Amino acid sequence: MIRKLPQWELTLVVLTLAAGAWSAYLSPYYLSLDQIAYSTRQFVFPGILAIGLAVVVILGEIDISLASTLAFGAVLFSKFSAFGAPIWIATPLVTAACAALGTLNGVLVARFGLPSLAVTLGTMGAFRGLAFILGSETGYTGFDDSYLYVGSEQAFGLVPVSFILFLVIALAVSVLMRRTVFGRRCYAIGLNKEASWAAGIDVARIKVMAYALAGALAGVAALVWIGQYGSARGDNADGAILFVVTAVVLGGLDINGGRGAILGVVLALFLLGTMRNGMGLANVAGPIQTIVLGGLLIVGVLRPILFQGAVRGYRFAFSRQAVASN
Amino acid sequence: MKLHTTLFAGAGIALALGLGDSAALAKDSGFKIMMTPKWTGFPYFEAAAKGGREAAAELGDQFVYAGADHADVSLQVETLQNFLAQKPDAIELAAIDLNAVAPVLKQALKRGITVTTFDADAAQDARDMFVNQLSYKQAAKTMLDCALLDSPRGGEIAFVAASPTAPNHTAHIKYMKEYIKDDPKYQVFKVVDTQYANDDDAKSYDVAINLMQAHPDLKVIISSSAVSAPAGARAISASGHVGKVFSTGFALPSAIKGYLKDGSEKCFALWDPEELGYLATYATHLKLAGKLDLKPGTTFEAGKAGEYTVGDGGEIVYGKALMFTKDNVDKFNF
Repeated sequence: MIRKLPQWELTLVVLTLAAGAWSAYLSPYYLSLDQIAYSTRQFVFPGILAIGLAVVVILGEIDISLASTLAFGAVLFSKFSAFGAPIWIATPLVTAACAALGTLNGVLVARFGLPSLAVTLGTMGAFRGLAFILGSETGYTGFDDSYLYVGSEQAFGLVPVSFILFLVIALAVSVLMRRTVFGRRCYAIGLNKEASWAAGIDVARIKVMAYALAGALAGVAALVWIGQYGSARGDNADGAILFVVTAVVLGGLDINGGRGAILGVVLALFLLGTMRNGMGLANVAGPIQTIVLGGLLIVGVLRPILFQGAVRGYRFAFSRQAVASN
Repeated sequence: MKLHTTLFAGAGIALALGLGDSAALAKDSGFKIMMTPKWTGFPYFEAAAKGGREAAAELGDQFVYAGADHADVSLQVETLQNFLAQKPDAIELAAIDLNAVAPVLKQALKRGITVTTFDADAAQDARDMFVNQLSYKQAAKTMLDCALLDSPRGGEIAFVAASPTAPNHTAHIKYMKEYIKDDPKYQVFKVVDTQYANDDDAKSYDVAINLMQAHPDLKVIISSSAVSAPAGARAISASGHVGKVFSTGFALPSAIKGYLKDGSEKCFALWDPEELGYLATYATHLKLAGKLDLKPGTTFEAGKAGEYTVGDGGEIVYGKALMFTKDNVDKFNF
């Protein structure tokens, strides 16, 4: 049996198609396979951060330090490259180091019971400070070509390698959340922490693991970053977290935890990416782009209310109709 | 059939007129030039765009100005990527991060697009030319001239830079110190302190207050940050040091007009961003039309902006410093 696509995901697909049509109307340069495939690069690094954040949000927590973790990862990659380490050694080590930063967040939140917004606000500054101390002010640009491959090359001369990596990560995390015990427990904790604990789930351990995963993914996003921009500096991805949170919220994840799917986040990224691409090609003024994206965030936040309202209105009209026909 | 005849006829005429020569075939106008600032909405960059638009209109080019509304390098790269998809003849930008924009700019160069930086340079191998507002020495001299207007008899001065590694700020300070040591005109000054305020308004204010407390005889605070210089003026007014201490350096006229008018400050400096944008666009056009060779020493005429010389590494120094006083500040609208 084919599972029906949930209502919100379906809405996102429709909105993305509409945004594509609108973009084609706005700019004659939009409708080209080359162009569209290449434009996906723009949301890969925030996309990977969003997938990691989604896992944390499903648990009912938040992590706004992820962009700083990315900067730390990018600078760490530059150190390995300068040292001459091959990429297949650097990648796991950087990913592990970023996972360690995530673990620190997780321990502070889960073991010490501190509010996650406060903790990650603090580590957002701390991790970035670490990146600044570790890196140089002018930035590192002498990366070995093997370090740049993922973020800069295209497969079959068309699809960015980074975009394929993003899809693989999205699929893997989706399976993790839907088909494994870990994933089920994440949803259970997000819905009701106390009941999960009473049912024998080690809530703290799951939370630490989720933060570690988000950190590790930020490390992978760092690999994409250095390839795309050919540069590592302490201020990398500064300001990216707003877009990441927008994608997660617009993707239909309940910010209080327990509800929503990775698929929704991916579709939200497609929608945001299409709109940014279209408006960019039409050279729409910066403030208007910000207003449109901010508007989408509000739609994402109000979504449960809007949807309930619509359903209620529909039911009300339907029942009256039924009464009338009787 | 008819089309063929027309084509042959056209080719025949072209040959007859000697248009077969490739130089003569080069386009002379109608280029598509796209400009992106560090961020849009800032009066300084809007003025640069106005100048660019004016040059393009004069030369018969198409001019597009777009970008994100805050300085974010990944958004700037996205803008440049979107520019590339629109197949322009040239791109002009003020780079936020000189290295991070390099990959996309190199891609543009590979496609035969002319790349011009203005205000803030990108990596040298990722652009054709850099239209620099002022040389470091010029900037240093201009700020000291302003300081002399503030305190004609000299005295103690202090510098406020963004950070110890901000390349332009540190170079300005280095040259100011050299002038104070070697040039009799500026030997009346004595440098007592250098502080860092990270281009941050609140930090600049605190730094200025601290400087005045630490050095009771301080006469002038000089900063090449357009954020720190006005914040210094605010600190002087708020702490009751008007007339005793002065703030100067680079600032937008709109930000310091009030202080000049009420007499609490006497002089600030900058350059005309509108003419800077005009020059950048004019030079870009000349390069596109095959009329500008970017070899050091080449001189060229840039319309109403005057004559310029190409320096090393494709650098063109605009070099017209402006000094704002209460008498002329009303003339500027950025």
